Amino acid sequence: MSIIFNIGYGHFLVLAAVLFLIGVGGVLIRRNALIILMSVELMLNAANMTLLTFSRMWGDISAHTFALIVIAVAAAEAAVGLAIVVAVFRGRRNVDVDRLTTLRH
Amino acid sequence: MRTRIPILIAAAALALVATGAAGALAPSIAVAQNVVIQPGQPGVVVQQVQGAGARPTGAPTAAPSPTPRAEAAASDPRLNPKAPPHLDEIESTGKGTALLFWAFALAAVGGALFVVTRRNLIAAVMGMVGSFLGIAAVYMMLYASFLSVIQMLVYAGAIMVLFVFVIMILNRPEDEPVAPSGRAGQAIGSLAMVYLVFRLGMLLIDVKAPESAMAPPAPTVAIVAVRTPEGACDVARCEAAGGRCSVTGPNQPQLCRVLHEWGTVKSVGTDLFGPGAFPFEAISILLLVAVVGAIAIARPLHEDPKPGADAADAARSEHA
Repeated sequence: MSIIFNIGYGHFLVLAAVLFLIGVGGVLIRRNALIILMSVELMLNAANMTLLTFSRMWGDISAHTFALIVIAVAAAEAAVGLAIVVAVFRGRRNVDVDRLTTLRH
Repeated sequence: MRTRIPILIAAAALALVATGAAGALAPSIAVAQNVVIQPGQPGVVVQQVQGAGARPTGAPTAAPSPTPRAEAAASDPRLNPKAPPHLDEIESTGKGTALLFWAFALAAVGGALFVVTRRNLIAAVMGMVGSFLGIAAVYMMLYASFLSVIQMLVYAGAIMVLFVFVIMILNRPEDEPVAPSGRAGQAIGSLAMVYLVFRLGMLLIDVKAPESAMAPPAPTVAIVAVRTPEGACDVARCEAAGGRCSVTGPNQPQLCRVLHEWGTVKSVGTDLFGPGAFPFEAISILLLVAVVGAIAIARPLHEDPKPGADAADAARSEHA
């Protein structure tokens, strides 16, 4: 019962780990580039949650600044990633990452 | 028609999470902001309730007086002037807070599972938004109120719109969403996944939290500048600033801390424009480069060649 009603830092860390793992699973098993980008965003959010938990744990506010910068980088990454998806789609009419093998040969 | 159902579920979950985050967490956070330290009285925390939620306004209980109101205030643990600073109602130890945590964690994890399992891309984006709103509520429970709002604005607002736009541009159903990469690939992937779970579990087991669950340290912001020339905490100046000198743990230096400023715009901004000023400026350059790069990448390479253009030039751009 205490693990349900006594929320501690561990709960937040485990929640972040679960979100990160779901993100990793999405990157590994899905083939659509858009879903992969969304999963990357999920992983970044999980990392942010870990940062904020440790920030609260040790009373250091600078992790909030770091998380803010991570959010900005994630926004930039989403913009560039989606631009690449649009460019790829324009060339080959699909965004399936398993069919993007031109650089392999 | 069948594909509408997950969208509806996602929208309902989204609305639930949004109202829960706004309605349930805002009052407790608002109460938290009204706890102040009286300068000049070290160790005595005076709580002033000023129009927070449904509570009567303007009931300063600095000095207990023999009026019925003051007696009622003294019996209320929230208004007890002798209460230690970290035992007020904002600590995340109550059962209601715990249930809220589970609800928001469920929203976050459920939305994330929605993202990786849906075939319909719009449904996946809606699951992502629900997940991000749940994460924002969890940030609020970590006293990161500013970052919680930023999370809602940037992720659930801007990035979601970006994704929806791109999905509308592409507008193509998937034929085979999950990668069948052969037995060897699946074995390697599963092994990598098991290894990752194992390493994450080991890391989480090794985390040494401060002893009691969510109580220490009280929501604080450290003011490093208030120091004597020897590097110790300057008690007089710190108390003049409304804080007091304290440590966060064993073998930690004493810092001047102001209670209940944790995670607000003021405290994050003070850090962002103090020690974090250079990363902040670097981020502006990064965003500029990213926007220019995104436009350069997504722009069509050869669009409507001019009628009088050179034929060889047109052929070359056609080839590119």
